[in-house]
Amino acid sequence: MSGLDGGARASSRAPSASSVEQQSAPARLRVYRHKPGAAAAPRFEIYEVPASAGATVLDALLWIRRHRDPGLMVRHSCLHASCGTCGMRIAGREALACVTSLAELGPGEVTVEPLANLPLVGDLVVDMEPSYARLRAIGRPLVRESELRPEGRPAEGIPGPTRFEDCIECGLCLSACPIVATDPRYLGPAGLAAAWRSVEEPRGGAVGRVLALADDEQGVWRCHTAWECTEACPSNVDPAGSIMRLRRAIVLAPRPKQ
Amino acid sequence: MIAAASLRRSPPHVVIIGGGGTGGALAHDLALRGLRVTVLERGEVTSGTTGRHHGLLHSGARYAVGDPESAVECIEENRILRRIAPGSFEENDGLFVAVTDDDADFGPTFLAACEAAGIPTRRLERSAVLRLEPNLNPELRFAVQVPDATMDAMRLPLRFFATALANGAVVRPFTEVVELVCRGRTVTGVVAVEHATGRRVEIGADIVVNATGPWAERIARLAGVDVPLQPSPGVLVALRGRFTNMVVNRLHASGDGDIVVPQRALSVVGTSSWLVDDPDDLGVPSDHVERMRVEGARLVPAVARAPLRAAWSAARPLIGERGATTGRELSRTFRCFDHAAEGVEGFVTISGGKATTQRAMAEVTADLVCRKLGLDAPCRTREQVLLPHEAYYGLLRRATVPAGRLAG
Amino acid sequence: MSERELGDRDAGPGRPLDRRRGVAGWVDPRGRRLGGWAFILNRVTGIGIVVYLYLHLGVLSLLARGPEAWDAFIAVALSPLFLFFDVVLLAGLLIHGLNGIRVTLTGFGLVLDAQKALFVALMILAAIVLLVGAIRLVEVG
Repeated sequence: MSGLDGGARASSRAPSASSVEQQSAPARLRVYRHKPGAAAAPRFEIYEVPASAGATVLDALLWIRRHRDPGLMVRHSCLHASCGTCGMRIAGREALACVTSLAELGPGEVTVEPLANLPLVGDLVVDMEPSYARLRAIGRPLVRESELRPEGRPAEGIPGPTRFEDCIECGLCLSACPIVATDPRYLGPAGLAAAWRSVEEPRGGAVGRVLALADDEQGVWRCHTAWECTEACPSNVDPAGSIMRLRRAIVLAPRPKQ
Repeated sequence: MIAAASLRRSPPHVVIIGGGGTGGALAHDLALRGLRVTVLERGEVTSGTTGRHHGLLHSGARYAVGDPESAVECIEENRILRRIAPGSFEENDGLFVAVTDDDADFGPTFLAACEAAGIPTRRLERSAVLRLEPNLNPELRFAVQVPDATMDAMRLPLRFFATALANGAVVRPFTEVVELVCRGRTVTGVVAVEHATGRRVEIGADIVVNATGPWAERIARLAGVDVPLQPSPGVLVALRGRFTNMVVNRLHASGDGDIVVPQRALSVVGTSSWLVDDPDDLGVPSDHVERMRVEGARLVPAVARAPLRAAWSAARPLIGERGATTGRELSRTFRCFDHAAEGVEGFVTISGGKATTQRAMAEVTADLVCRKLGLDAPCRTREQVLLPHEAYYGLLRRATVPAGRLAG
Repeated sequence: MSERELGDRDAGPGRPLDRRRGVAGWVDPRGRRLGGWAFILNRVTGIGIVVYLYLHLGVLSLLARGPEAWDAFIAVALSPLFLFFDVVLLAGLLIHGLNGIRVTLTGFGLVLDAQKALFVALMILAAIVLLVGAIRLVEVG
């Protein structure tokens, strides 16, 4: 970690937040619990969780895992909406648990369920492979041009400012899409948004190949403009807009001579 | 020394407890050396400290003055990681910015220390710096360009895991070790709870490696040994807005909130520091969050008003004797502990370090593991290019092994 | 792409494959936003219009059976209940047709950023035309 020079700067043990922060009323979470393959049917368990100011749904879930049931399966990693692993449905709406504060959900019971439309690994954890299989097929690189460009030349030795793609592969769009809900072969918003990015900024990839993948009855033409994917996306990817732009690109692309 | 042929026939089995960056890189290293590997992680991989850091690929300049051992490790690994994981970094270099005259006075010491550590630097005058990064504090005196970069804290380790899986390693997330199995004072395996089924499984091992970062002491105690580890959390803050392409550091000895790391469309400001006993109970002190904004704004003024995306804590694993009050003795380097020194065979701990050095930590640990097993198998991770992170979940599915096959 | 390539098989031991919400997921109001409602409305009105089409053809076939059959039908058509369903039909046509304009425009990559506002505007237009039409129908009956 940064801020250190040869060791920790701290000279004292800071008390944990729960004793210094103001306590809000406890939060009630209604959490989906199911281990596939187990005899018990899926059910919802109610947990009361002490909530400090600023606590997120993920904080509450990890409290439950630590103090009530270490078997609660929850996926998380970065805690700041960059890794995309903590996607789930909170109060019926797709969200990243690490940046959804309990306060913004208001009083009353909050239902927490795994993402829809993806196979269940256990409790709140789903299998992301259907999404990654599509992303691999599209082959969009992780790194793109940065739109923040200095006047004049970039730093010496650096070809040109770059940054990671916006898409954090969280799957919220797949859970929200009514077509993914019914059609197992639809390429889906995440894959099509990646395809658009590969067309918009090829980075040495074969644009024709990507357009051909998208120009399919299970590609861009399967979308019915529900726009739920763009609404659900926590990272400004705008999959719906990307699909429409792809359609335009496909329609306007020069036809190869037969 | 075990002959290569018999190694292929019945390779030794290494169980790695902890699926963070170190566990992933170690699984990759051991798999390349031909060993059988199982990684056990209680949550999702990288869900400990590894996934939470600000994403800095260190040039090492930050440690050049106070911790030269760490600095040299960093610059070497910086180059290796870019070579073995191309396409996983925002490669825009970094700046150490002198904001005050005191900062400026620190310059010569800083530059000399970087040179001693082999870290390339380029001093840039004020106008050049502001042309490169117009959103910096206009009162800056000068800045030094260094080969910092931004890594994706989760997706980079995922590449180690993916490659390890492809080479035959077994990775079992949501599988929590609860006991070590011992025969006398030799560790011969672990007992773990498979959270997806609730089953307890016993997994035999020739060597068990404790790669749990700040939880290393908790696991070590399962074998009745101690590790001089001090978990030290810090607060990080992610703000909406990308204000710089380059990583921005404060050119001074050390302090809270003295780094701003651009990551996609966010700016991550870090960090602070305190000590805890339990890495599962960190908290996010709100005064630390405010401090990040205040200090970060001295480098990038826009940080003061940018909307907050997230504020969180992560625990560094600091190696050093407990009871240190100021922590000045605690280095940011890593150490491998062979618990045979305490009379416990078959058990090794690797802790300390940082994300930038995960591969090096794995190499040192794999070397020790092979020495203990009497194997002559060189490390190949400096050159081996890693699979892309998108391969991980597909390979994970295929590698899932029914529990019954893992005993012994 | 085949289902195998898409990773939809081989989910592994003990993993239920299909957690797709299906059509039931379309009508779950939780988490549904404006675009999702437009989608559902288009499906429902679309089905309604197809049903109406068959009814309409059935009614028109009465013409082939002579003036008595037709006059009998017209008498029913002027009843209040029938006129009510006429209003419902008009609503369905307006919603489906006007939202259809939005779907067409966005489908060609036009009006992308204003698609929500466009939906609201078109539905307001639909409501106005519906009101005028309903009044006219009531006057007829």
